[in-house]
Amino acid sequence: MSDLGGGFREEFSQVQVKDKAPRFRIAALAGIALAAILFQVYVPRFIGQLSYLELPLLVTVYFSLMRSSPVAGLLYGACVGLAQDSLADNPLGMFGIVKTLVGYFAATASQRFNIENPGIRLVLSFFFFFFHQFFYWVLERALLGQSLDFELQRTLVIAVLNALVALPLFHILDKLKVG
Amino acid sequence: MEAILNRYRNLTVLLAVVAVQLGLLGYQVKGNGEVRLIRVWAVGAVTPLARVIEAGQSNIAGFFRDYFLLIGVRRENQRLKDDLDRVRMENQELRTELSTADRARALAIFQERSPSKTIAARVIGNTTGVSAKVVIIDRGTSSGVRKGMAVITPNGIVGKVTGAFPTASYVLLVTDPSFAAGVLSQQNRVHGTLKGQGNGTLIVDYVQNEQKVNAGEWFFTAGDDRIFPKGLPVGRVTLVRQGATRKELFVAPSGLGDGLEEVLVVVEGVHAEIPEIATAEQPVQLQEPPPAAPEIAPLRDGSPATDADRLVDRYRRIGEIEKHEYGGHGGRAPNFNVTVEPRAADAQPSPPAPGTKQAPEKQAAPEKQ
Amino acid sequence: MPYSDLKHALPPEAEKRISRDDARFALGRIAAFQYIALGVFLFLLAGFWVLQVRDAEENSQLAERNRIKTVPVLAPRGKLLDRDGRVIVDNEAAITLMLTRETLNPDHLDAIARGVHMDPEDLRARLKRFQSRPKYVPMVVKQDLAQDEIAFVESHRDANTFPEMELVRNQRRLYPRNGLGAHVIGYVGEVSEQELDSSDFAKYVQGDIVGKAGLERQYNDMLMGVDGQRRVVVDSGGREREVLESKEATPGNSLQLTLDLDLQVVAELALEGKKGAVVVLDPRSGEVLAMVSRPAYDPNAFATRVTPEYWRQLTSGGDNPLLNRAIQAQFAPGSTFKPIVALAGLETGIIGDHDAVSCPGGANFFGRYFHCWQKHGHGTVDLHRGIVQSCDVYFYTLGNKLGIDNIAAYAEMAGLGKRTGIDLPNEAEGLMPSTKWKLRTQRQKWYAGETISVAIGQGAVTATPLQLASAIGGIVSGGVWHRPRLVKATSTVEPRRMELKPESVASIVSGMYGVVNEGGTAAASRIEGVEFSGKTGSAQQISNELRKSGKLDANESKDNGWFVGFAPRQNPEIVVVALLEGGEHGSLAAPVARDIVKSYFDKKLRLTQRGIRPSPFALLKPPALP
Repeated sequence: MSDLGGGFREEFSQVQVKDKAPRFRIAALAGIALAAILFQVYVPRFIGQLSYLELPLLVTVYFSLMRSSPVAGLLYGACVGLAQDSLADNPLGMFGIVKTLVGYFAATASQRFNIENPGIRLVLSFFFFFFHQFFYWVLERALLGQSLDFELQRTLVIAVLNALVALPLFHILDKLKVG
Repeated sequence: MEAILNRYRNLTVLLAVVAVQLGLLGYQVKGNGEVRLIRVWAVGAVTPLARVIEAGQSNIAGFFRDYFLLIGVRRENQRLKDDLDRVRMENQELRTELSTADRARALAIFQERSPSKTIAARVIGNTTGVSAKVVIIDRGTSSGVRKGMAVITPNGIVGKVTGAFPTASYVLLVTDPSFAAGVLSQQNRVHGTLKGQGNGTLIVDYVQNEQKVNAGEWFFTAGDDRIFPKGLPVGRVTLVRQGATRKELFVAPSGLGDGLEEVLVVVEGVHAEIPEIATAEQPVQLQEPPPAAPEIAPLRDGSPATDADRLVDRYRRIGEIEKHEYGGHGGRAPNFNVTVEPRAADAQPSPPAPGTKQAPEKQAAPEKQ
Repeated sequence: MPYSDLKHALPPEAEKRISRDDARFALGRIAAFQYIALGVFLFLLAGFWVLQVRDAEENSQLAERNRIKTVPVLAPRGKLLDRDGRVIVDNEAAITLMLTRETLNPDHLDAIARGVHMDPEDLRARLKRFQSRPKYVPMVVKQDLAQDEIAFVESHRDANTFPEMELVRNQRRLYPRNGLGAHVIGYVGEVSEQELDSSDFAKYVQGDIVGKAGLERQYNDMLMGVDGQRRVVVDSGGREREVLESKEATPGNSLQLTLDLDLQVVAELALEGKKGAVVVLDPRSGEVLAMVSRPAYDPNAFATRVTPEYWRQLTSGGDNPLLNRAIQAQFAPGSTFKPIVALAGLETGIIGDHDAVSCPGGANFFGRYFHCWQKHGHGTVDLHRGIVQSCDVYFYTLGNKLGIDNIAAYAEMAGLGKRTGIDLPNEAEGLMPSTKWKLRTQRQKWYAGETISVAIGQGAVTATPLQLASAIGGIVSGGVWHRPRLVKATSTVEPRRMELKPESVASIVSGMYGVVNEGGTAAASRIEGVEFSGKTGSAQQISNELRKSGKLDANESKDNGWFVGFAPRQNPEIVVVALLEGGEHGSLAAPVARDIVKSYFDKKLRLTQRGIRPSPFALLKPPALP
């Protein structure tokens, strides 16, 4: 990152490296995303409190951070978001757009921060959860014309909880990393 | 151009992806059509898996679920320095397994006894999203489920189908603010419309202040909303109070127990009589009614009337007392000042009754007693 | 940013620092540029969205049209009260179904119509009629929903089913039962297209509920309130989130009528099951104390929308319950016309009180033999006996002497042959023939022989019960005719006055007193302690109305029974006209009037005993909105 061109080249090569990554990783990517979505659909039935967990978001944040490629991050976010949308009772694209942006920004952020640091992970998870909820609310208001209130305090508390969950989750996901 | 695109590749892709999705949203919002196909695929793809999860007690899917669940919960517990949730979850799991057999039997018996044709379905998930009052069940159009069908349990009504896919359906729960159904009280057969509130309680609207409903009384479906067949339990009244224009009635839904699992979709509704004594007795926490508004005198014969109607009644009675046929040939003119027991009030011109229509009713009440 | 700052702030060497700063500077600028571009792009996209999607009114489903919704607040109509302030017509709470036409999906119409028990074709036709109104104005589908219809609407108006349905609280009309006062009160209904074209209703719009008949129509402008409206923000789930603007409805003004419910009720009961009409007037003011027409209809059936079956039931058959017989039935007045002929005779000086005529049971005029109703004859008859016994020969002779134009002059002076001007729509004129009239309408000369029939109230002469009541009431009050009216008014129209000789009035009153109290034709209707006077009449005639319809049965060819009565003898306070169609003879109509007059004086006694005076000018406030 000493000069501009180098930065882009480096990033480009990084993507090429990723393309050559073992297929297992892609399977894991898909599998974990699916698992996260299913978790959100299924688990809150047993434990209502767990409906506050946004595992699909955390997974998106994690993989975007790890790959540190904005394109990969945003595409991954879009896929997870759309999958979530298609199971929800709202128009397709709401979660999609929000998670696309989260993926993009998470990947961009990873180029700047030391993403192995638990503290940074905590802060980033918190930040992106909050960003996710806020932007979703903005979309609801602006695009769907739903004049809902934004519950700031509640969102902050849930963001903290999610960030706390994100730490162990990221730790587990680290173990799935191959190579 | 290409150079610029290359240079800002990330941004270009981002904008492209966002734009595509915005287009998709715009299409959905603008056009009336939902993007059914994708949703059907998605739900269809998830449903078998969810069913496997649901059914699987010891297979890989079960492990898959448990693994994530347990790890996630343990981590959370560590952070929260509390073991309670895990224990509760295990407890819940065990209890679920235990009671599933009983519940399945009860459901089968109910299904057999119920006059309506129903099919059993399992709840396989909530829709994603935080404030959803919608659940997904594992039966869809291929089993005959259609949009608008009623969803019930032996304990009470659950909701109605708002979207049907080949192998799964969305069910809008009674607690959703957009849910409503026609209901009837058990003891006094008072008609009303049940409405969800978005929280755990329901209200019954369109009940006149004069009508009598007791706290603790059961409400049943009235069969007049074209969704639910008559005679299904709805819930018990937890609170009754007089409102400004109509009675305010709060009802605890009986159909949504803890852990809603098996439900019945009413494919062909048959109206049934409302039982004299509710079968599904459940303890209900009854709130003390507030000391608010005083009782308003009940209507004389239930239907509204004007002063003119009351006067006709009075003169008819004078005719009876005086044995006089009005306008009849022969006889003599009656004494219109004869005492009509005990409705002397009519003789005095009553002041114009301002305001609500209750006013003349109030005047009328003492005459009758 | 703070982290990157830390990271980059560390390098110690100056050279590197400079080069790094350059790079950082460049990188930062590029990044800033990226974000600005992104921001601009998003801004443009948002603008595009707003223009193309949200504001595209006709298509946007979840957006704007659901964002701000206009919900009308329907104003209640004013009440109708009797002279003592008792409620005759009230309002009661009701629920109305409306459709927000902006969000309407035409495919839903059939299901919605079925859900509220309507004909889908009806609903479509309504919708078509409504096209002239702006799209944001919701359309009334059905008023006064039943419980099951409310349940249907509530349970199907979620975003996934029929979100275009809207429930609005309003007040529906509550009329007395069994058609009490129906013809006076009238009824309300949705304004029709023909009415909208007329000047009376030009200011109303499609969907307004207006008075269609009777007082409801006459005083529609007063009774109708002004609807308010609420502009509310709703989310896509249809839930109200915010009220932008709330304009309360202004309720209509209540009307205090001149009707006395006590008399009205007695009159209604006396005519129950019969066909006819009753008019009760206070001749001192022209105030109508009671007005009944039977058979009646149920205005409550019109209060929302009249069913085709009920309409058919009302319009088929010869009874014509929609006709207000008190002001629209035009029948020959028969012998009740005789006091007017007598007045003409006395006032013109053609006869004196004691000029007598011999009645052998009939007499010859112009080569034709005219029978008296009493075939055996009345013997020698003077004016007093002529009225008491209703001797036809006496009046044939008098009429012959008077000539048609003298009779017509006095009849017209009393108000026959023209509208009384009562505050009700569609009053009939009646007919008082004269030589001029015949020349004008038939271009023929009047034959003196025709006068003979007119002299006993037959022939071409017709009158409505109201005209007769007003005419006789004015005569017995000494020549003062007040315009009849149904609504209490602070300012009154100056009455018509004619200088009548007090002796002639006294002679006629004395004759009519004899009819009831001296063994006359209405002797059976005597009231102890009340100077009740009157005149019976029977007329072998059918109303022009019914004659035109051509639907007659045996009953209709029967004579009509009339009775016109008043009390007391001096300074009369009450005039009653009772008409029984097919009632054979006036002596059968007299008991109807008797009961009413008795109830009037009983009430008066009741009030004086209690020391309570009715307060006819009680100030009325419009009722408060509930």
